[in-house]
Amino acid sequence: MSRLSFQSLILTLQKFWADRGCMLETPLDLEVGAGTMHPSTFLRVLGPEPWKAGYVQPSRRPADGRYGDNPFRLGKHYQFQVILKPSPLDVQELYLDSLRAIGLDLTRHDIRFEEDNWESPTLGAWGVGWQILLDGMEITQFTYFQQAGGIDLAPISAEITYGLERLTMFLSRQSSVFDIEWGGGFGYGPVRQQDEREFSTYYFEKADIGLHWKLLDAYEGEARHCLDEKLVLPAYEWTLKCSHMFNTLDARGAVSVTERVAVIKRVRDLAVRCAAQYLESREALGFPLLQQVSNV
Amino acid sequence: MSEYFFELLTEEIPASMLDGALASIHTSLEKTILEIGTFTPAAGIKVTATPRRILFFLSNVPEKQADHVDTVKGPPKKAAWDAEGRPTKALEGFLKKNNVSIDDVLAEGDYVQVKRNVTGRAAKDILAERVPQIIEGLRWPKMMRWGAGEYSYIRPIHSVVSVFDGTHLPIRIFGVESGTKTVGHRTLAPDWINVTSYGDYQTKLELARVVIDVVRRRHVMAERALVLAKQVDGTPSDDATIWAQWQYLTEYPGLVRAEFRDDYLALPEEVLVTVMRVHQKQLPIRDAKGRLSNSFIAVLDNEADPDGNAAYGNSFVTNARFADAKFFYDVDRKTPLADRIDQLSHLQFHEKLGNYADKTLRIENIVSDICGAATYESMESRKAAHLCKTDLVTEMVKEFTELQGKVGGIYACEEGLPENVWQAIYDHYLPANLDDALPRGLPGAVVSLADKIDTLVGFFSVGAKPTGSKDPFALRRAAQGIVQILLNRDKREVKVGIEHLIAFGMKWHNVTDESVRTDLRAFFAERVRTLLETSAYNFAYDEIAAAMESGWSRSLTDLVNRIGAVKTLRDEANFLSILDSAKRIANITAGHDSVSVDPSKLEHETERRLNSLADLVVDQIAELIRNHHYLDALRSFAALAPELEAFFDDVMVNVDDETVRRNRMSLLRKVGNSVSSIADVTKIVVDRREYRE
Repeated sequence: MSRLSFQSLILTLQKFWADRGCMLETPLDLEVGAGTMHPSTFLRVLGPEPWKAGYVQPSRRPADGRYGDNPFRLGKHYQFQVILKPSPLDVQELYLDSLRAIGLDLTRHDIRFEEDNWESPTLGAWGVGWQILLDGMEITQFTYFQQAGGIDLAPISAEITYGLERLTMFLSRQSSVFDIEWGGGFGYGPVRQQDEREFSTYYFEKADIGLHWKLLDAYEGEARHCLDEKLVLPAYEWTLKCSHMFNTLDARGAVSVTERVAVIKRVRDLAVRCAAQYLESREALGFPLLQQVSNV
Repeated sequence: MSEYFFELLTEEIPASMLDGALASIHTSLEKTILEIGTFTPAAGIKVTATPRRILFFLSNVPEKQADHVDTVKGPPKKAAWDAEGRPTKALEGFLKKNNVSIDDVLAEGDYVQVKRNVTGRAAKDILAERVPQIIEGLRWPKMMRWGAGEYSYIRPIHSVVSVFDGTHLPIRIFGVESGTKTVGHRTLAPDWINVTSYGDYQTKLELARVVIDVVRRRHVMAERALVLAKQVDGTPSDDATIWAQWQYLTEYPGLVRAEFRDDYLALPEEVLVTVMRVHQKQLPIRDAKGRLSNSFIAVLDNEADPDGNAAYGNSFVTNARFADAKFFYDVDRKTPLADRIDQLSHLQFHEKLGNYADKTLRIENIVSDICGAATYESMESRKAAHLCKTDLVTEMVKEFTELQGKVGGIYACEEGLPENVWQAIYDHYLPANLDDALPRGLPGAVVSLADKIDTLVGFFSVGAKPTGSKDPFALRRAAQGIVQILLNRDKREVKVGIEHLIAFGMKWHNVTDESVRTDLRAFFAERVRTLLETSAYNFAYDEIAAAMESGWSRSLTDLVNRIGAVKTLRDEANFLSILDSAKRIANITAGHDSVSVDPSKLEHETERRLNSLADLVVDQIAELIRNHHYLDALRSFAALAPELEAFFDDVMVNVDDETVRRNRMSLLRKVGNSVSSIADVTKIVVDRREYRE
């Protein structure tokens, strides 16, 4: 446990969940605030098709940046996201096994599941679940998805989101995220600190406000265009780009309270349309994953 | 006698919801036992829970219902026999179904009825039917679906134990078949355990590191907390909120002591305590002098922390939180509060009500109006009002929103502002609820009133008043806070009425729409009634209604005095005669307003006597009322009762001669109106038996 690195944690979690039937998805190649926004979660939880996937997702939250000065806060962090649909009854046990797999003797630690529900106004999504505390520290967010894009879900998906930096820090007994080892002898700090500093400066001080508002309008227009053309997957990508524009403007202090509500509504309207259209498109295809999984 | 044991194993249920669920289950079980037989004191119902189990044990349950005779109702007699007096198909069918003959039909009634012997049902059959209904029927505050999504409950259900007198009693809860097996502690003893009875269950679960009884978990924790605190010569903070959560956060009631870096003790205590209590659910430890130490206690679902992991983890996360707080604190103190007013203009209060700089200005103006009306020196209150919202743009409050007001007060204190000013800023959100303290000083009370009435008038004027259970801007709480402050009579008493506050608010919001005033008055009246009915005052609904009928919005303390007088008087022997007199006057003079009597038109001796007496007493009553001696005033009125009775006996009011009639009505009005500024006693509801000798 003492030599635990960021990447050894990722490798262990990938192997663990792959061994339990998950498809190892790759990170979405767009800026998102959380692994939930990856189509592998937000779209796959819709409709009757089963789904099991695990993936790392770099998550950008411009407002959380601290110029690389704060040992606990990052403007970009990495999540390991597992999505299990339908949620198996032994999902908590599976999760605890994953902790055992990364070397934790759970009889010598404190593990608790404390109520923590999740809601995303921009995605029209909410779920019920817990924050999972390891020795008093939140290491995982666990959610039973109830609604996405305003659509009631059935079957229900379980979403497990590991905070990779926190877990590595804690397990390797480091008091600063910049002191953990990424892998191969490379430190997280030397690799990422410049990124944190520059992006904090950019998001808080330099980002061109006028340009971002224009981009938001343009991306929104293109998302609608795609929806009108019944191209839901491109539409969803443009929606995610709108969301990132909003986050950037928000961090830049350029969004008033009134505008905030209005922009969230614009993004949610797109997300809701995407969800509905995705469901239609899957139905038109005959829900292919229903057959495929039963054939495996 | 029999016993029954039930356990529902689920995933972790939110700690805040369990007490309510247990109380509801208890009530349902009482009903079920009554259905089986008499509820004797010997019959025991024990209901308890852990984070992932709900369990109950019934003892001394009768084995079966008593056999009894039932009356069964059939078709109407009219339809039971045809014109020739032969039994119809309907009657024959009914007799056959109930296995009785035509001779068994009872003579009485319009319907065919027969007596039937009913064998009492076995307790276990009733339980097998009721228990799933009770458990599945629980209404949780936030439900969820899981798996295929066919059921909705608080959390997914894993297993059900159902044991009646040592034997499995099969039931099914949301598709899960019951058995006699459960599991122990999630990580310490996760194996399956077979249980044969409640006693057996208790023993085996205890060995499997689960303390099933919530009360015992709490006791164990309380004792352990004392020991842990004592190790550092301290005592755990007294905190009911924390205990209410801890008791349902673990199956094994463990605690651990941890420390944070002691240089963080330089941060404001409010910040430290909020982070620990609210964000980390940790209990601060204080030393013998009540000072905060850098040790705290955290909950642990484990019997020990052999490697110090939990101590490390809790220290780690608390230090991280404090590092953030320290950063905010250092940044914040570079900008004095007075320099933050400009920033408030960028912080929106409500889209139709402007920003917080606008709100600040209104609060200052309302504060001036209140101080003017009540003739207080306004300088300190105005200074506090000017700064009271500036902490909303501090980093500390952005992070810890629950510390709004307090942070401003702390910073103001550090900036060297006078005690009255910083305390007023600190306290101006008070009182947040019925049990909450009021602001410590008069300026705090004044600023709190101004802030709240500004909010209320503002939201009412833009049509955002609460409807039903929806009150997103907590307007009921704001109005209740105003009522609480205005009812207070110590050195902080603010001598203004709600009517004045509403007027000040409307003035500075430039509201001219009178419906805002009407709606707010009704809204406040409801809060006043509710508050005066609470145990702190214990006034009856009709006493409050009677006094409020005579006005309430100019002074709430005066209202309380008047209600008090009515309450005292209703216990006195002559109350009934006052009530009767008042009611008769009200009935006879309905619609008549004049009180000017022409003595020359009074014909009867009795009415002349009443008039001269009234002239004397009415003046006397008016004087008493001017001096707020409401009880004496009502008693003087009571003294008129015999004379009034004589009047009603001797004098006819409703005579044809209009002049005479109106003159008599005026006389009665004069008498009746004498106490109308205290209360409308006709609103009092009496049970006349109470007054019989």
